[in-house]
Amino acid sequence: MERLWRSTDEGRDPQPPWGRALAPYGWAALLTAAATLTQIGLASRLDVHITFLLFLPAILASARTGGLGAGLAATAAGLVCALALMAPSGLRAEDVIAAGLLVALGAFIAVGGRRALAAQGAAEEVNRHLMEREAHLKSILETVPDGMMVIDERGVLQSFSQAAELQFGWTAQEILGKTISVLMPMPDRRRHDQYLDAYAKTGVRRVIGLGRTVIALHKDGSTFPVELSLGEMRSGGHVFFTGFTRDLSQRVAVEERLQALQTELIHVSRLSAMGEMATTLAHELNQPLSAMSNYLKGGRRLLEGENPQSQALEPMTKAAEQSLRAGEIIRRLRDFVTRGESELRPEPIGPLVREACALARVGSRGAGVKVRYALSADAEEVLADKVPLHQVILNLVRDAVEAMDRQGEKDLLLATKLVGKDLVEVTVSDTGSGLQEDVAARLFQPFVTTKGGQGMGVGLSICKTIVEAHGGRIWAQAGPRGGTPFGFTIPLARKVAA
Amino acid sequence: MTPKTPIIHIIDDDDAARDSLAFLLKAAGFSTAEYRSASSFLANLPDLTAACVITDVRMPGQSGLELVVELKASHPGVPVIVMTGHGDVPLAVQAMKVGAVDFLEKPYDDVVIVRAVETALVGNADALAVHDEDGARDVKGRLETLTQRERQVLEKLVDGKPNKVTALELGISPRTVEIYRANVMSKMQAASVSDLVRMTILAERHR
Repeated sequence: MERLWRSTDEGRDPQPPWGRALAPYGWAALLTAAATLTQIGLASRLDVHITFLLFLPAILASARTGGLGAGLAATAAGLVCALALMAPSGLRAEDVIAAGLLVALGAFIAVGGRRALAAQGAAEEVNRHLMEREAHLKSILETVPDGMMVIDERGVLQSFSQAAELQFGWTAQEILGKTISVLMPMPDRRRHDQYLDAYAKTGVRRVIGLGRTVIALHKDGSTFPVELSLGEMRSGGHVFFTGFTRDLSQRVAVEERLQALQTELIHVSRLSAMGEMATTLAHELNQPLSAMSNYLKGGRRLLEGENPQSQALEPMTKAAEQSLRAGEIIRRLRDFVTRGESELRPEPIGPLVREACALARVGSRGAGVKVRYALSADAEEVLADKVPLHQVILNLVRDAVEAMDRQGEKDLLLATKLVGKDLVEVTVSDTGSGLQEDVAARLFQPFVTTKGGQGMGVGLSICKTIVEAHGGRIWAQAGPRGGTPFGFTIPLARKVAA
Repeated sequence: MTPKTPIIHIIDDDDAARDSLAFLLKAAGFSTAEYRSASSFLANLPDLTAACVITDVRMPGQSGLELVVELKASHPGVPVIVMTGHGDVPLAVQAMKVGAVDFLEKPYDDVVIVRAVETALVGNADALAVHDEDGARDVKGRLETLTQRERQVLEKLVDGKPNKVTALELGISPRTVEIYRANVMSKMQAASVSDLVRMTILAERHR
C-alpha cells in the first residue's frame, strides 16, 4: 500500500498517516462481515444457495477507497468467508467456478481501484500546485510597491492590488466594476474612453509596453504624479490591460528628505569640527595657563616667606613667558581657522537671493507662501563666497517659512538695499509667529532653538559665523509685520561713487 | 626617629607645566623629582616608600592612565594624582576607577594641588585620608540633600554617561537632565563637572 502511494506520487510526499492507510482494510473487513451475515440470514430463511455476488460491494468499496491492497484483501476475505459458509454442505463444481470468478473479478476491481486512486491523487496534486502558485503570485503582486490594476476592453476594473489601494485611496471592493477613468483627472478622463475605442478599432498601440508619467486622481480629489506601465493580455477571446502605477510623489518626498539630511549632516560636521577645535584649544591653552598660575602662586608663597626678593624674580619671568606662549597658541589657531577658508569675489546679490529662496522652497515646503522681492538696483554686486552666503539666505528663508507654518497669512519679503557707501543689507521678513524676548537675545548662540525637538539650534550660529567672516553683521528684530525680520549686511563689491 | 622626607614625582611632557609645578611644590615645602615621560619614570624607578606621583594624562608614549594601572599593580600603596589639560567626565571617572587618588583639571589653584598632595601623602597606603575625613563627611552630607532623581542623574554622570543617554534611561527629556545636573552641581558645591565626579567618587571611597 505504502509502496503504491509512493509510486503514484513519485515520492513527492503524502504518506497517509497510519489510521488513514488502514481504514480501507477496516471497511473491507466490515463489509465482508456484513455480506457474510446477510448470506447466513438469507440461507436460514430461504433456501438460497451461497452466492459470491454479495461480496462484490465490499470489494468494490474497498478497492475504491484503499486501492489495490484493500481490494485484494476484501476479495480474499470474501473468498474465505464464502468457502467457510459452503464447507458444511460440500463444494460443488459451480461453486468452484464462481469462486474463481470472484477472485478474477476482485483482482480486476482492485487494479481499477488503484488506477482511480492514482488519477485522483495526481489531480489533487496538480490542483494543490496551482493553488500554491496562485497564492505565491498573489503575495508577490501584493508586496510589489507599485500599484497593479487590470481592466477589460471597456475599461472596467477587474483587479486592484493592495498597493493601488494605498496609492489611490479606493479599496478594491469599492472600485471593482467601475471604469478606470475614475482614477484620472478631468481632461484625461474623457479622452481615455476614446483611446480604448481607437485601440479596439485600429489595433495601433500608443502606450502599451511603454512607461510614461501621468497625473492620477486620488479618491479624496487630490492629484499626484505616477509612472504608468501598461501590458496587454488576451484570454478567452477577451482583451485585458494590466497597468502598473508607481507613485512619483513619494520619490519626490524621499529626495526632499535626503536633501534635508544632507544639510543636517553639513551642520553636524561643522559643529563637530568646532567641538574638536574647542578641545584642542582647551588642552593647548591650559598648559601655559596652569604653568603661569603655578609660577605666580609659587612666587607668592616665596614672597610671603623669609627671603622674598632674591627668589621671586625667576618665577615672574617664567610666568610672563607662559602668557606670551598662550597668546601664540591663540594666534596659531586663528590662522588655522581662517586659512584658505573663503575666497571672496564679486557676486550679483539679486540672483543670489532669488536662487537661495527658490532652493529653500523646493518641494512641498513653503506651499501657499507668497514671496515678494524688493531688490534695490543700487545694491548690485557684493564681495562674497557664494556657497556659504547661499546657505545663510537659505537658512533664513527656511526658518521664515517654518515660522509661518500655522499662520493664515503667509507673506515672505526678501529685500536688499544699500546702507552707507559700502554695505548691502539683506532682509528676510515673514508674517510668522514671532520671537520670545529671551530667545531673541540668545538667538545666534549655538544650540538655541525655537523649533522644539526639530532643530539642532545651530543654523543661526553658523549664519552668524559666515556673515561675520564676510565682514558683515547679522541681527533679528521685532518687526511691524508680526514676524521676525532677520537682516545681515555684506560688503559691496564696488564702492559707489560718492 | 624622623620620617623620611616625602618626594613628589612629577611626570608631564610639557616642560613649562612640569617645571612650574615643581617650583610651586618646592615653594610649598616639598621635595620634587621631574620626569618627561611615564617610561623614563618607570625606567629608573626610585624608592617609593614615602612618595606621591603626579602625572599628566595626555603624553606621547605611555599615557597617564596606563601609568596608574601599572604602578597600582607593582606599588599599590603609592598615591597617584592625575591631572589633565582638558578634563572630560569619562576621563575623570576612568582615572579614579583605575585607582588615582585624585583628578585635577589644569589650571588648578595652588591650594587645591598642595592640599591634594598632603592628603595623598597622609593617606598613602590607606585610601582613607585622616584629615580629609571631614571633607568626606561634608560631601556625604551634601549628597544627602539630593532628591532621588538628582541622585540618579548623578550616578549616571559618574558612570560617564552623556546627558542624552541618561535622559533615555531615566525616561525624561535631555533638557530636564540638564536642569537636574545644574541642581546637583549647586547642591554639591562643585566647581566643575570633573570636580563633582571627583567629590562623589572620593566620598564613595570613604564610605
